Amino acid sequence: MAAFIIAWHHLARIARSPGLILILLAIPVTLAGIEYAAFGPTVASGKLPPIKVIVLDEDKTLASALVPQMFTGGGPMKDMFETSPVADRAAARDLFQKNDASALVVVPKGFQEALLAGNRAELQFAPNPLQTYSPAVASAVLEMTTMIGNGLLGQAAGPLRRINAVRTAGQPLTSDDVAEISRGFFEAGQRLNGLNAVASLKVTAIRPTGEKAGPEGSPKAFFAFIFPGLVIFGVMFISQSLALRLMRDRVRGVERRLGMTPISPAARIAGSFLFMASGLIAILALLLAVGAVVFRIEPRNPPALLALAAGFALFASALHLTIIAIARDERSASFIGSGLVMLLSLLGGTFFPAESMPPFLRAVAFVTPNGAAQQGFVDVLAHGRTLVEASARIFTTWGWALATMTVALAATYRKAGRA
Amino acid sequence: MPSALIEVTGLRKRFGEVEALRGVSFHVAPGEVYGLLGPNGAGKSTTINILCGLVQPDGGDARLNGIDVVRDPVGARRVLGVVPQEVALYSDMSARENLAFFGRLYGLRGSDLRARIDRVLAQVNLADRAKEPIERYSGGMLRRLNIAAGILHSPKIVLLDEPTVGLDPQSRAAILDLVRAIAAGAAVVYTTHYLDEAERLCDRLAIVDHGAVLAEGTLAELRQAAGEREIVALRGAFRSEGVPAALGAATDVQILKCTPDELLFSVRSAERELSGLMAVAAGFGDVREVAIKQPSLENLFIKLTGRDLRE
Repeated sequence: MAAFIIAWHHLARIARSPGLILILLAIPVTLAGIEYAAFGPTVASGKLPPIKVIVLDEDKTLASALVPQMFTGGGPMKDMFETSPVADRAAARDLFQKNDASALVVVPKGFQEALLAGNRAELQFAPNPLQTYSPAVASAVLEMTTMIGNGLLGQAAGPLRRINAVRTAGQPLTSDDVAEISRGFFEAGQRLNGLNAVASLKVTAIRPTGEKAGPEGSPKAFFAFIFPGLVIFGVMFISQSLALRLMRDRVRGVERRLGMTPISPAARIAGSFLFMASGLIAILALLLAVGAVVFRIEPRNPPALLALAAGFALFASALHLTIIAIARDERSASFIGSGLVMLLSLLGGTFFPAESMPPFLRAVAFVTPNGAAQQGFVDVLAHGRTLVEASARIFTTWGWALATMTVALAATYRKAGRA
Repeated sequence: MPSALIEVTGLRKRFGEVEALRGVSFHVAPGEVYGLLGPNGAGKSTTINILCGLVQPDGGDARLNGIDVVRDPVGARRVLGVVPQEVALYSDMSARENLAFFGRLYGLRGSDLRARIDRVLAQVNLADRAKEPIERYSGGMLRRLNIAAGILHSPKIVLLDEPTVGLDPQSRAAILDLVRAIAAGAAVVYTTHYLDEAERLCDRLAIVDHGAVLAEGTLAELRQAAGEREIVALRGAFRSEGVPAALGAATDVQILKCTPDELLFSVRSAERELSGLMAVAAGFGDVREVAIKQPSLENLFIKLTGRDLRE
């Protein structure tokens, strides 16, 4: 009972003067808001913004007009690109400087003629030097489509070479020439016919059980990927702020005074834990509500979300209660706490996606408390994983929570004994 | 005399190399104000901390209302009200909210709690400012509220640890009146640096230094123990080595302290002995200041500890 009185008392104090907590609460929301403003509602609805490729057509032929379709013609990549014509190189430079295009593809004069003549037909590719990721994607797609085109053309290389040779020689075609060219095209046709299956090639996505498809279920909602990391980061700092409030009470002698009341040290420590953990769970719930309302992140599988939220709230509470128990003063507690929050955020993938880390760091990221909780939230919110399916992340988070709580209890009890 | 509510017997405590308490014993009866008088590091706070159950003694026995503070610290704290030296309250809350919180920790609820809060607020004269955040309070108001939080649950035993430190004379006087009123229904232990407070307030006193009770009794008993002797303090620069031998001939002079900058003597008559003492001291250095203190509690303190209370 005394633990509840203490926890309620501290929560009431926070509710009365929530200034700092609100500021800290605003960090993840603001960061997500900035990304929302940058990428717009398209992203929130589940699509990444398209990579813009500008095409300078100096050939102005039928063949050159087909070049943009190398990006947008079809297949799974078609929604990733947006192409638009550009009048000249100066206009292209202007668009690059405004960062309004990721790459320029130039179709030089004579492109179609070279194609028809069987000569080397060249496309020029210029990446926007202000960008890194998008030009690389555009370049890779262009190389891939030209490679496929060359491969298909290569199937008919023999008869085409024969036609060119006859034309270059200026001799009339003999029946043998026609027969050989015809046989060459026939064989090429036979080989291509063997690739008929390509026309009906279909990709079937394998999704974990329970994952919904389609933008309505927001399975790939951009914010479902980035928001959990920001939330975890914000909650860690809020936890630090709550713990520092308790430390200030201790410095002022109020903790010592509580030790003079008929409340056992265990009840006092439980009260602090209860205050921190329940406060953080409430804040996590609030942030998830903000995510749902503002960023359209569907709060799926509430039991899994609750398990992750409770585990991470306990971990963050225990971590910062340990820090204030071992730190000499508020300044050192603040220093240690901030350092650990930044380190855990870096390792856990808050600032850099864990899935893009080198293998060793990736393995580390998913076993850190931040990384496990963050990935757990992503698994549930973005992939629709259930409590059972997300259990590995939940167990990791709870493992950290229980281990840190043990340390916190020992350190806090020792401190309470000395108070 | 009614049976004692506080019984402390042979209390011992060591912190590493430092022996903080060396067999402290005292008892306090209901309605009695017992003063613990001593300089910093004398052992007062350690004694208080043991009574509160915050520190485990190495030896001895301490009981509050018959409850052993080591075996049942929580039970002992139920009958105890503590007023710590620092104003240990939540500055972002009002007086009423602070009192309500501490009252709940003592198991008080509902109308009983509200009635008690009203009563103590009136007692400490803060009823009209009860709803203000206490960060707006003056030092004297905070001290009074600090006391109110310690007596809200009507404890049988109240420990006040230097509750008037840093206050102006008017606020101090108000608090001393308050302590007197508290003592009407409780056994009170009052620690202080101020001799005048101890003389005015305490029914009995213990002079504590280096973890031991050097003298104990009523004010009259202690004054009697101090005798009719006066204290002579000579300050300046001295070669202290030979002073005791040189004064050995003067049979009625007791040397209390002998350092390169101060010589402290206890004499039956300062008027009669001063010229002789000055002559001896002049042979060992340069006398720059002479002070004579009349028989008092302070004299006894200096006589027992060899130092001023504020050192």
